Amino acid sequence: MKLIDDIKEKVLANGLKVFVLPMKKYNKAIAVYSTKYGSIDSEFVLPYTGEKLKVPEGIAHFLEHKMFDMEYGNAFDKFAEYGAESNAFTSYNNTTYYFSTTSNFFESLKVLLDFVETPYFTEESVEKEKGIITQELRMYEDDPEWQVYLNLLKSLYHNFPVRIDIGGTVESIQKINTELLYKCYETFYHPSNMVLFIIGPIEPKEVLEFVGQHEEQRKLGAQSEIKRIYPEEPETVFQKEVKIYHSVTQPLMLLGFKDVDLGYDGEKLLKKDVIISILLDIMFGKSSETFEKLYEEGLIDDRFGFSFEAYKDYGFCSIGGNTKDPERLAQEIIKSIRKIKAEGLKKEDFEIMKRKFIGDFIQSLNSLDFIAHSFVSYYHRGINMFDFSRVLYELEFDDVMNYLEGFFNEDRMSISMVLPRK
Amino acid sequence: MEGIIKKKLENGINVYLYPTDKFKTLTFSFFIYRDLEEENATKNALIPFVLKRGTKNFPTARKLTRYLESLYGADLGADVVKKGERHIIQILLNVVNPNNLEKDRDVLDKSLDVFREMILEPYIENGCFKRQYVEQEKDVLKRIIESLFNDKYNYAIERCLQEMCKNEPYSIYKYGNVKDLEKINEQNLYDYYLSVLKTSPMDIFVVGDFDYDIIYEKLNKLFNFKRDEKPLKPISIKKDVEKEKFVEEKQDVNQGKLSIGLRTNVKYGDEDFYAMVVLNSILGGGPYSKLFQNVREKASLAYYAFSRLEKSKGLMLISSGIDFENLNRAIEIIKIQIEDIKKGNVTDYEYKSALKDLVNSLKQAKDSPASIISLYLDGVINGIEESIDEYIEKIKRVTKEDVVSVAQNIKLDTVYFLNKKD
Repeated sequence: MKLIDDIKEKVLANGLKVFVLPMKKYNKAIAVYSTKYGSIDSEFVLPYTGEKLKVPEGIAHFLEHKMFDMEYGNAFDKFAEYGAESNAFTSYNNTTYYFSTTSNFFESLKVLLDFVETPYFTEESVEKEKGIITQELRMYEDDPEWQVYLNLLKSLYHNFPVRIDIGGTVESIQKINTELLYKCYETFYHPSNMVLFIIGPIEPKEVLEFVGQHEEQRKLGAQSEIKRIYPEEPETVFQKEVKIYHSVTQPLMLLGFKDVDLGYDGEKLLKKDVIISILLDIMFGKSSETFEKLYEEGLIDDRFGFSFEAYKDYGFCSIGGNTKDPERLAQEIIKSIRKIKAEGLKKEDFEIMKRKFIGDFIQSLNSLDFIAHSFVSYYHRGINMFDFSRVLYELEFDDVMNYLEGFFNEDRMSISMVLPRK
Repeated sequence: MEGIIKKKLENGINVYLYPTDKFKTLTFSFFIYRDLEEENATKNALIPFVLKRGTKNFPTARKLTRYLESLYGADLGADVVKKGERHIIQILLNVVNPNNLEKDRDVLDKSLDVFREMILEPYIENGCFKRQYVEQEKDVLKRIIESLFNDKYNYAIERCLQEMCKNEPYSIYKYGNVKDLEKINEQNLYDYYLSVLKTSPMDIFVVGDFDYDIIYEKLNKLFNFKRDEKPLKPISIKKDVEKEKFVEEKQDVNQGKLSIGLRTNVKYGDEDFYAMVVLNSILGGGPYSKLFQNVREKASLAYYAFSRLEKSKGLMLISSGIDFENLNRAIEIIKIQIEDIKKGNVTDYEYKSALKDLVNSLKQAKDSPASIISLYLDGVINGIEESIDEYIEKIKRVTKEDVVSVAQNIKLDTVYFLNKKD
């Protein structure tokens, strides 16, 4: 059954990949412009000079803030003039800029392309931004849910930069200056490292022509491949457990497993993503025996959750949430994993979960924002998100069973807790 | 043209049908309206939690969830919403439209049966709710009430509203309070729920691709129970501010959280309302707004600084996270922005950007079932029945003079600051 129209795609001469998905019935159109550059890319070789560079923590995120500065002022102002809403975010892997609008689509698209393609930094505005980002970091310091997550990553990893906060620290961002920002920009914002995804009530042909002409005018040559340098990461975890004390009335606990089956992307990565997500849902979802037991004991409530992150160079899952007794919750989760490993899964549970995943996927297609951001995030991993339903359909019970033993290995497990201050 | 069709079931329940072929799902929202009042708030909050535990045919949450998973992950949820001085119990069903499925096309009817059961035939033991479920959910609700303290950002907003509306029903937290939980048991809660079903005004909203005669008939059959509706109390919004209040609280935090509560004395349904909506956007609605430009961009004091309206109570709330020592400067800058609007110091850029932003957001709201329902719900609560397009037209007609004129109604009531411990 055909759920969506066909995507039109084009690779431009300068290497930029453009995708257009028409959704005629919707009011809004969204354009997402994203580079495969996130906080983990903290050490690299500059393609033009061959210089090896290690940059201050948080610079990708800082750069995202400063990209909106233009010689004419601020790109936000131009979007406002056209009635478009714009924003950006930085993750461990990508920096993504976007707008959504119900009018003046092409004018807004030009603003987006122009500001992401035009670095314009002054010492004064960089200094000013330090005050704003300091407050952003302080906000996260007061957020126990973010803290318990960050600490889990710090415990799972010895060296890999996913253990460092995306925004860096108040100290590290002080070292950022215009020269460093330009160097990061020159390295990672070449069109061959970027993708443009557009969705909404638009004519693909028109959009592709518009973007094609715009990119041709930039007269950019090709760029050689970017060398990203990641530190050696052992298979073991950095520490088994971490506890911090925070201004909370209720403790939080996250338990995570480090994935060591790495080094690939594309459909193989998508398949692993689907398998572990299904496994987690069968084991800990609301229809699981474990969820029911922990809930009845008052150890968890509906805020209990789990997730899996699948990338070429790292991967991990996290399980947990608010709880009155973090030590016991962790022990109960471990016990239940051992039990499931010993007894195996039921094929029937797997078949029902497959159906739920198909339904969830169809439901998610209601949201253009969801489609746009998922598409881009998967694209950077060599995955077409619309392969999801086929991969799911082809998935066999044995595929899932095979992962159970290897993935949930207690030697690669860490536990992070946030506890109330005395 | 999209729009809503209003009908009445035979027992007087209003049905609002919004047919559109945009979405791949069908969304049903059942709203039960109550007065927000001390006596019943905690019971209203607890009911959705107990309803989710089981129904006549699915006596445990686990069985219920598993059945919903087999219906392609149909979402069946329940929660409590506070809008103005209305306390609303909401039961929500989201199901894949069978048009998108090759088999199992009975998912809609099956889902609707469980939807009905959750509301009209919850799990009963010995003539009332199951004791164990009520006790466990009391504990869950207690944890949820107490964990507001973990969330400093929302804590500071909620505390400001509580202080500002002391002695008014609006100060009641949407989840009620811990001390009232002690008085609740399976019998008095069940008796209360029966009276809620009998006497409360109720609406059902439906969004999706459906034939409205068929859906109407289905609902009429499913919810054909005896009612004896009692009207709700009118909501009062006018209140004089005698003296500005300043409330400070100290906790172990890394960032000061400033919340400012103001009386607008204008609510949805008043002629001036649309001008107040535009005013709010000019003050703190987006990157073009006075708060963003002056608190963040110019003074570099904060990462976020925004204002928002409580449409059904005539309140405005301003929120910003700042360094502790910048409190007085931030308050001063914020007050200047409000005074500037009162004096008519509003630039064309600010005014036009606010209008365009509002129109864009309202048009975008039509792309999401949840936003459509939320907008219509605001209208229904305040006795207004207008389409989203009519709302947009009224916003477009607001002049700068209207904004300045309505600004004269605004009175600063309470400044709340979450400070660090000495």
